[in-house]
Amino acid sequence: MSNGPLEIKAISGHSGPVPGQGVSRDYDVCKLVDTTTCIGCKACEVACLEWNGYEFRETTFDNTYQTMPDTAWNFWNLIRFNEHENSDGTISWLMRKDQCMHCEDPGCLAACPAEGAIVQYQNGIVDFNQANCIGCQYCVTGCPFDIPKFNSVTKKVYKCTLCSDRVGAGLEPACIKACPTGCLHFGSKDDMKALANKRVDQLKANTSYKDAGVYDPDGVGGTHVIYVLHDAKNPEKYGGLPADPRVPLMVRLWKGPLKWLGGMGMIFGVLGVFMHRVKYGPKHVDRVEEKRP
Amino acid sequence: MTNGWIDIKNTDVMLIMGGNPAENHPCGFKWAIEAKKNRNAKIISVDPRFTRTSSVADHYVQIRAGSDIAFLGGIINYIVNNGRINKEYVVNYTNAALIIKEGFKLPDDGIFSGYDPQGMKYDVSSWNYEEGGDLTPKDATAFAATASVLVKPPAPPAAKGAAVHAAPAAKPPKVAPKPAAGAAPPAIVATLPPNVAYDRSLQHERCVYQLLKKQYSKYTPEMVSKITGADPEKFLKAAEIFTSIRDKGDTKKVGTIIYSVGWTQHTYGAQIIRTAAMIQLLMGNVGRTGGGVNALRGHSNIQGATDMAGIFDNLPGYLKVPTPADKDFGSYTKRITPTSAKPKEWDSFNYWSNTPKFAVSLMKALYGDAAKKENDWAFDYLPKIDRKYSWVEIWDGMYRGKVKGLMAWGMNGVAIGPNSQKNIDALKKADWLVVCDIYPEETSSFWQSPGITEDEQKKINTTVYRLPGAGFAEKDGTFVNSARWLKWKDKALDPPGDAKLDHEILASIFLKVKQLYQQEKDKPGTKFPDAILNLTWQYVNPKVPTFTEMAKELNGKALADLKDDKTGQEIKAGQQLPGFAWLKDDGTTMCGNWLYSGSWTEAGAQTQRRGQEDPSGLGIYPNYAWSWPANRRVLYNRASCDINGKPWDADRMQVRWNDGQQKWVGNDVPDFKVDSHPKDHMGPFIMTPEGTGRLFVPLAGMADGPFPEHYEPMESPVDNLFHPKQNNNPVVKKYTTDRDKYGTPKDGFDVVCTTYRLTEHYHYWTKNNPVNSQLVPEPFIEISEDMAKEKGINGGDKLKVTSARGEYYGKAMVTKRIKALTIADKKIYPIGIPIHWAYRGIREDRERKAGNTTYLNPINMLSPTAIDPNAYTPEFKGFLVKVEKA
Amino acid sequence: MSGGAVVRPSVAVPEEQVIRYTFPERVGHWINGIAYTYLLATGLALFTPHMYWLAAVLGGGPTIRFWHPWMGVLYMITIFWMHSTWKKDMVTTAEDREWQKHMKDYVENRDDKMPPQHRFNAGQKQFWWVMFYASLILLLTGIVMWFPEEVPPGVHWVLPIVVFIHSATALITIAGFLIHVYMSVFVTPGSMKGMLDGQVSADWARTHHRLWYEKITGRRK
Repeated sequence: MSNGPLEIKAISGHSGPVPGQGVSRDYDVCKLVDTTTCIGCKACEVACLEWNGYEFRETTFDNTYQTMPDTAWNFWNLIRFNEHENSDGTISWLMRKDQCMHCEDPGCLAACPAEGAIVQYQNGIVDFNQANCIGCQYCVTGCPFDIPKFNSVTKKVYKCTLCSDRVGAGLEPACIKACPTGCLHFGSKDDMKALANKRVDQLKANTSYKDAGVYDPDGVGGTHVIYVLHDAKNPEKYGGLPADPRVPLMVRLWKGPLKWLGGMGMIFGVLGVFMHRVKYGPKHVDRVEEKRP
Repeated sequence: MTNGWIDIKNTDVMLIMGGNPAENHPCGFKWAIEAKKNRNAKIISVDPRFTRTSSVADHYVQIRAGSDIAFLGGIINYIVNNGRINKEYVVNYTNAALIIKEGFKLPDDGIFSGYDPQGMKYDVSSWNYEEGGDLTPKDATAFAATASVLVKPPAPPAAKGAAVHAAPAAKPPKVAPKPAAGAAPPAIVATLPPNVAYDRSLQHERCVYQLLKKQYSKYTPEMVSKITGADPEKFLKAAEIFTSIRDKGDTKKVGTIIYSVGWTQHTYGAQIIRTAAMIQLLMGNVGRTGGGVNALRGHSNIQGATDMAGIFDNLPGYLKVPTPADKDFGSYTKRITPTSAKPKEWDSFNYWSNTPKFAVSLMKALYGDAAKKENDWAFDYLPKIDRKYSWVEIWDGMYRGKVKGLMAWGMNGVAIGPNSQKNIDALKKADWLVVCDIYPEETSSFWQSPGITEDEQKKINTTVYRLPGAGFAEKDGTFVNSARWLKWKDKALDPPGDAKLDHEILASIFLKVKQLYQQEKDKPGTKFPDAILNLTWQYVNPKVPTFTEMAKELNGKALADLKDDKTGQEIKAGQQLPGFAWLKDDGTTMCGNWLYSGSWTEAGAQTQRRGQEDPSGLGIYPNYAWSWPANRRVLYNRASCDINGKPWDADRMQVRWNDGQQKWVGNDVPDFKVDSHPKDHMGPFIMTPEGTGRLFVPLAGMADGPFPEHYEPMESPVDNLFHPKQNNNPVVKKYTTDRDKYGTPKDGFDVVCTTYRLTEHYHYWTKNNPVNSQLVPEPFIEISEDMAKEKGINGGDKLKVTSARGEYYGKAMVTKRIKALTIADKKIYPIGIPIHWAYRGIREDRERKAGNTTYLNPINMLSPTAIDPNAYTPEFKGFLVKVEKA
Repeated sequence: MSGGAVVRPSVAVPEEQVIRYTFPERVGHWINGIAYTYLLATGLALFTPHMYWLAAVLGGGPTIRFWHPWMGVLYMITIFWMHSTWKKDMVTTAEDREWQKHMKDYVENRDDKMPPQHRFNAGQKQFWWVMFYASLILLLTGIVMWFPEEVPPGVHWVLPIVVFIHSATALITIAGFLIHVYMSVFVTPGSMKGMLDGQVSADWARTHHRLWYEKITGRRK
């Protein structure tokens, strides 16, 4: 199916290269977050809140500009603010839009026991279907980014949907639409990767960010949300972005060998005891009379 | 802005200082990001704290709040010493070559010539040009010779009888209006000489350039560092990055300076902006694509408010309000209309010479047929200002019991301060208060402010009327943005409940007042009903005038058939005017604001245009909305070309001289006399009598000196290192009631405090909105880690901040983004406080009902009543406080 | 399968009965057994998609997610109950070691080669201790898995380990459970009767648990 009529050709009040120009949105979508041009205005936070219809939640001041310590079941998009003193005495105030990374190899999906609770679309979006969610939170276990959040009232887990509803209608996600500086881009993975690499080359050539890089971790098969970082060697600086995120080994073992071995064990166990019965039969009770001489 | 938002994308380097656009103008800041991404442009951020803007800057320098002139003066010194000027531009487009009269004295001791210490004001007569001709030495440098090649032969001398004038604003859109000569005796008013002496070699010891060089020679990196607290290396790096565009005589590159209220809110705010303008003139950046001095306005329509007489001594279009000394319309317009003052061989458009046309057309718009030549265009109807009625004066007057009532419209007087307690106490003394707003806010709730007991409330006799107005999304009309664009918007929804459109409320008040005058005009004791009864009010529904009708009035129309003799173009009586060039001083045109003429023509509302074409790729979008004046996007764009009319950078051409057509053409509307040949040497700065940009502001242009000089804020932690005996601005305006106290380090006030806004909030009303309150829930105070350590403060601890005037409470934000500074070998702790909280709002109402009022003080409890003598802006930045754990 | 002892049909002698399990012991065992069965079914549903149909059978995913931990609590109570009752009987003895040496004979029903045993033979004891310790592990990991939202984000790394241990431990108990059920139902006639009625025939007792038999009856051969 083609979304041709909804592809972006031009943007009003905008000159130069149009981000996402002519991008096909049929498959393989990707968000690019350029942290080097993010100003932490939180427009994406508000857009996410409003599009998804979540209301006010009480917050308290916590010695930071960050809205709350972590994303929440009804707050999926959080800019993480991190002050960092550099070795040359300068300061960095790193702002990173945190949300579901939509892994190509999603740990949440691997860990989820409930049929149809987590869906990975052809376009790369990993979506939660709360109707099928049983609230076990195995997805939390499987996620290397600590994204899924539990609502203790509904007993369901929630997270960023990458606006699958909007994307399905040929629109960009709400956060992208709201971003005033254009640090957020949306398009196909290939296009976003190319755009990100171009920006990284530019940063390396023209700024002091010689360690700039693209964050698209292989450990989870790549992600459908990628970052341009000033310092790709130390992603942890950006509010705990893991350097090498992987679906936890234990989840792999659990959902791989253990599941297999367990299943086999049970089948062969039942078969085994049945064969035992067939071969040896039941035990006999010695009668007293027989033992007496 | 001399330029516009989108134009920022065309720049090579940005000096962002006195503003934090990433925080306060995130949508416009996209163009700064575009410049970074598409042009590898550099951002230099200079600020008392490492801000959201600093986070995306290439270079950041921390300075002490209030030390901006020292920093910028240091850059001027750097420019001069390193030859980082555009010589051709400086010689021909600025007044660098003009020679200043003998007797003018630079402020080595902090004071310019002509100071009257008793009256705390200057006699400005020595701040003037010398009369005479070309004093360029014959053996001048080769450069001066080249520059003179195009000088046309001597023209006949300019008309004699130069009028008295008050040196109109060089750049009306952004520089605050200058004080009029006012009620001062007009006996001896100095005037600019029509034939100014000059030296194109810039060698004459009294030429502006040499004086400037001398004035800023003391702003060495060492002194800059001592005064501002900036690391000298970092200062030098900032100066180098910004001025590097003029390295090795390059004139192609361009830089922009972007500022906001971080510069205006000082007792010398207008002079800080002047310093920036001087830098841009020296480097030849004004008038150019990607250049300029760009003021970012703090509200969606503050530019419109200023254009429409937002300040007490202005009429719409920056015309001066008459004073009692103006005996009639003729003497009034003569006073406010400048005549050209320039080197004889040069030309000056002196556009303000059209002032009478603008003024008569305004009178026709105000009073219609009642304004006739015979009755001096109803000049008597206009109010005359006998003294300064600036914002702080009004509250001072009320506190003194002189002002008895106040109508507060779309502004929260108590919260926006300064010195909130004085304002609260002033309202206690008023008879009545009318507030039109969309929320119950602090001003109309002044009697509920923290600390007022129920018994005290009973003793307050002020009658408060609260009128529910309409929010911005509930009305049509135009916004005028920082780029001077008039942009029409349609309302999104109707006002809720009993709320009414603001102008509907105003109209009903006016009609009621008019009715009273009508009924009682013949009764004894009724004074001067004519001004009210004759005010034009020709709207289809007088009770609810439409914005369309008002917008058309502002544009102006012909009152008689008009014909342009040159082009033969005709306009019939009653038709909308195509632009201000058609305005007449004979009563055949009316226009509510000459700057807006052209915005609603016979072709319709230009403000509603949404054309997406940008043929030049420079973001000019000539068919999108409408930019005053005359849809020009970049002011003074003649300066984007060299003296021959060739663009400094052909890739970023704004306009150029087309020799074939014998006129100026280009991507933008030329801000110039369109057929003025480059050889005429007409100055690009058509709004000054000289035609040049003013490095030196002569006469009464600035109240506090022709050159900016570093003065300390009203409350400062150190003595002025340049001249300890003249610490503050010599003509600063202070107040004297018992509520107007000023603190010193000796009294324990030794922390430099600055105030600002956050992205997450908008002034004092978003605390009524759940989402904003969620993003940043409560007041906080940013302090440095070393200060926290010294005082044993942890992040989240409750703090009490005290100034000489009041207290403020909030939670501590301990941050790496603010560092202790060494000022004059003294360790100074700076702190910063966002302004947004007070005692009305979701959380605030809850807390107040629970009796927890301590943490509900407005921030302006702290700020001082001391104002800039030019723009009357209070000093919200850089005052002294002490900080302790609450 | 009948709970009665299998006797040779040619001989018709009224069987002498001895008390094998008291009523509280039996109640504890069966509550434990039912709870385990539920935990097994629901646990398998959560363990592998191939068994998720069990969730539907048992009321749906959210329902089993809700009841599994509560059933676990009940299960643990009976485990501790059984432990308090049987811990003395479960102490390993010299005879057990002897028995273990003859494990192969036991498996292949050459019971005449087996040494006499106390109330529980070494196999039963092993099963008990495996179940007991495994249950403790399941309890501890289960509590974490019951409330993962209470685990601070900084220590989320512990969750996958916990989940793995819970599953792996459960699999071990399944192995034990399988043998236990098989032995009692299919291999050792009379033992089911013992757990249902509380009584076993003296012959049964003497055959399988001679030392216990002699102890409770005072008889020697």
